[in-house]
Amino acid sequence: MKTGKQRALYVLQNFLLIIYAVFALFPLIWMVLISFKSDTEVFTTTFIFHPTLANYQEVLLRSDYARYILDSVIVSGGAVLVSIIVGVPAAYALARYSFPRKEELAFQILSYKFAPEILVVLPLFMIYQKMGLYDSYVGLIWVYQLISLPLLIWVVRGYFEDISVEIEYAAQVDGYSWYQIFFKMLVPLIKPGLVSSALLAFIFAWNSFTFPLILSSNKVYPVTVAIMKYLGTDSAHYGQLAVASTVSALPAMIFALCIQKHLVRGLSFGAVKG
Amino acid sequence: MARIQLENVKKSFGKVQALDGVTLEVKDKEFYVLFGPAGAGKTTILNCIAGIVMPEEGMVKFDDEVMNLVDPAHRNVAMVFENYALYPQMTVYDNMASALRSKLYKTDEDKIKEKVLWAAKIMKMENLLERLPSQLSNGQKQRVAMGRALVRTPNVFLMDEPLAHLDAKLRNSMRTELKEMQANLGSTCIYVTHDFMEAMALGDRIAIINEGKIVQIGTSDEIYYMPCNEFTAQLMGDPQINIINAEILGDKDGYSVSFPVKRETVTLPLPKDDRVYDVIRVDGLKQVDFGIRPQNVKYSFEPKEGYFKTTVYSYESIGNKSVISAECGDFLHYQLRMIAPNGLNVEIDSDIYLRFEMDHVILFDPETKEYIVRYDEAGIQALSDQTAAANA
Amino acid sequence: MAGLTLKHLYKRYDNSGKKKKIKNDFAVQDLNLVCEQGEFVALLGPSGCGKTTTLRMIAGLEEITDGEIYIGERLVNNLHPKDRNIGLAFEDYAMYPPLNVYGNVAFNLRAKGVDKEEIDRKVRGIAPLMQIDDLLDKMPVKLSGGQKQRVNIARAIIREPELLLMDEPLSHLDGKARQAMRTEIKRLINKIKCTTVYVTHDQLEAMSLADKIAIINFGVLQQFGTPTEVYDNPANEFVASFIGEPPMNILETTIINKDGTFFFTFKDSNLQIAVPKRYYSVVSDGFRCKVGVRPMDVLVGGEDSQGSPEEIATFENLGDERRIGIHVGDILLMLITEDERRYKRGDIIKLEVRGEKTHLFDIETGERIREQN
Repeated sequence: MKTGKQRALYVLQNFLLIIYAVFALFPLIWMVLISFKSDTEVFTTTFIFHPTLANYQEVLLRSDYARYILDSVIVSGGAVLVSIIVGVPAAYALARYSFPRKEELAFQILSYKFAPEILVVLPLFMIYQKMGLYDSYVGLIWVYQLISLPLLIWVVRGYFEDISVEIEYAAQVDGYSWYQIFFKMLVPLIKPGLVSSALLAFIFAWNSFTFPLILSSNKVYPVTVAIMKYLGTDSAHYGQLAVASTVSALPAMIFALCIQKHLVRGLSFGAVKG
Repeated sequence: MARIQLENVKKSFGKVQALDGVTLEVKDKEFYVLFGPAGAGKTTILNCIAGIVMPEEGMVKFDDEVMNLVDPAHRNVAMVFENYALYPQMTVYDNMASALRSKLYKTDEDKIKEKVLWAAKIMKMENLLERLPSQLSNGQKQRVAMGRALVRTPNVFLMDEPLAHLDAKLRNSMRTELKEMQANLGSTCIYVTHDFMEAMALGDRIAIINEGKIVQIGTSDEIYYMPCNEFTAQLMGDPQINIINAEILGDKDGYSVSFPVKRETVTLPLPKDDRVYDVIRVDGLKQVDFGIRPQNVKYSFEPKEGYFKTTVYSYESIGNKSVISAECGDFLHYQLRMIAPNGLNVEIDSDIYLRFEMDHVILFDPETKEYIVRYDEAGIQALSDQTAAANA
Repeated sequence: MAGLTLKHLYKRYDNSGKKKKIKNDFAVQDLNLVCEQGEFVALLGPSGCGKTTTLRMIAGLEEITDGEIYIGERLVNNLHPKDRNIGLAFEDYAMYPPLNVYGNVAFNLRAKGVDKEEIDRKVRGIAPLMQIDDLLDKMPVKLSGGQKQRVNIARAIIREPELLLMDEPLSHLDGKARQAMRTEIKRLINKIKCTTVYVTHDQLEAMSLADKIAIINFGVLQQFGTPTEVYDNPANEFVASFIGEPPMNILETTIINKDGTFFFTFKDSNLQIAVPKRYYSVVSDGFRCKVGVRPMDVLVGGEDSQGSPEEIATFENLGDERRIGIHVGDILLMLITEDERRYKRGDIIKLEVRGEKTHLFDIETGERIREQN
């Protein structure tokens, strides 16, 4: 039996957690609420309003919003795909081979993630202009590697390090070639880490704002930048803005919820060792 | 099955010279044990044979064919790893079948099933086939690792301390089983261990490795009774051999050894043996280290003719028998170990009287620690031949 | 005077929250134990048998479900661990890394507020005993396993506890160091004469160290006695097979009567061993039981031996001794000999058994069947 004191503590704990949850979720809830309000009601602070779907109609049917979403999918998905193709072998090399300055190299890769985007974006802008990468899918996918690649390499490297090298030896002795070992033995073992880091990288890429803002304009228009369109210089359609934000946040939220368990485990399993 | 040769193999990892000119030859169908302390380079030798490690110098040959540049997959060897190296995502059955499913050793599924079930039966693990490695105990994992090797018909089986992680009881029973299996399989096998009992029990021949070099190669009897130096002598046998530095007195009519025990000097005559006396006379030995195994030290708790007095340091059971240590040093601590039955009532620090069976003594050079001579060399050779004949 | 008394000790884990009901949820069941003052008692059993739980209950780290624990004459059931006057040495020598050895050993006394000179006197007094005098200035990370363990024990005994508790203190050490440390512990405990309870799963450790061994299985005490008693006179099949290395040969047998002489016979084997006369009062024709005999007590008979001829299945030369295995049905009967003769598989030997060293066990319960006088 729990004593009275223990029960009081239990209640208090839960109460505090609930308060925190409300605090953390409030902006999201408010955003969703605004998306159902007409422009005149946006600034009322009460929960009483006349729900309307006008904003949704405006954004989803009468603007290019679908195209922006598609751009985001292409750019983020492409970035993750490239990261996997490049990053998994890189992670393997960093985990298994010993070469001079290995740790420095690994750290340098990680450090790409430390640098504020705004710091590198100006020189990048000029380079991109000269190379004709400005406002192109390839250009954005390329620059997104700064976001997704370090993450992927570090998580997957931890996973590779956790696999004892004898397993590879055993498979070699069993008559498998290196490629067969890699795809048959190793890839299944790093899958949890790969999936979770890839999804996380996707979310980061999806949410990226500075890069697409400066390195693209009309041809490629990811959703994060597109939202700005609803902020005019003279007028702000907060309702439509809220709709655009809500819809663009959906994939990230759905992913995060689906893989939540996986994500925590996947990231903490390998990565903490790195 | 094949004959395996290593010729002057050298390998270093960074600044560490793991192998320093290893030459050995494993005969066809021989059970060959590599024995030595941790970090001696045993596993590296095995990895060189498997092709996992590339030697910097020297040759690895299978049946006179140089294998240095052949990759592990094409050497057709089966290996049991110290940490088992089971594929975690596969069931026991798939683990065992994996070699036979590779492109190189492709076998049809019916045949695989037959082989796996056969190996599972030998290793007594038919009931484990559906499990994942994470659901197995260490003993079971070890069986699976062995089973995975058994389904093959390789040039050579390589086993790296397969019993090291098991507890004493399981290790002993697995060792006995392995011995039985070895007789049935009749295949070349190279077995790495740091447990002298495994080495003695299993090896047709044993190679003692230390610091990347081969110290001695011989049958278990040769190594046990005629160790080439004090290091080898101390490795073989539990409790360890007693080695005492002594002065040689007397002349060719009767030599004796004299050494300090506590504050006294004990002088024990060396029994007459032509070979031993000749060696002492010819080499003009003045100082020797003499080694005597614990079972050749006799004790009494009452004063007795021919026994010298000292005190008990400890008395411990080591299973079916016990070990008494007697304190013999004064300034320098040194203890003599001897075998006694379990269940004696021995007071620590009480008096004990000892006698050495001097006709079992091994003499070593006190400087180089190398083997000089021992009693009854001919008899030992006969024993060794007897074993060899029995194994043939 | 008793150093430690356990009376009807029970420990039951609360499984109410768990989905799976564990059938036997007693970790310790009706444990009664009396350790005399100054005695070294080993709690021995396979992992999960409840020995560590018992130790933790004695230390006060675990709640007692039922029963009484006395240290000396004091009932300590409701005392806080720090008031029980015990010294603890655990498996993982958790030392305080920022303190040197001296600081670690002195830590408990400092915490209690003993004055500096007193502490110094005590630490300097205990250091030579544990052979850590030249380590006192070192940091824990610089110590070897054996040294750490010595510091650990010094730390436990510096408070001059009434009772010293050790939980597998040697399990982190490897072979040689372990053996050496075993000898050291034994000599040390001999010197300080402190009542000691020592938990281990290694029967060798228990046999070589303890004055008395309590063998526990599934939370139930199987036997409590001196090493000689448990080795020569096991209470049941579990004790018989747990103590001794290699283990006792235990075979199922059916006893037959041949012209007034009883013989052990075995399934799928021609082996017949005469039943020692002292068992005649308890056996009968067709009586089924288990017979146990240690490998040292099975002998290779000479040429004129009356023993039953058997084929050698395995022969292992271990240098110091030789082990022979013989198939009896599907069990491998082991025997140990120091005889220098080399055998090979398939050789026939005459098998003899030291009748006075055989034990009978009930086939169902495993309880010892004792001869009646």
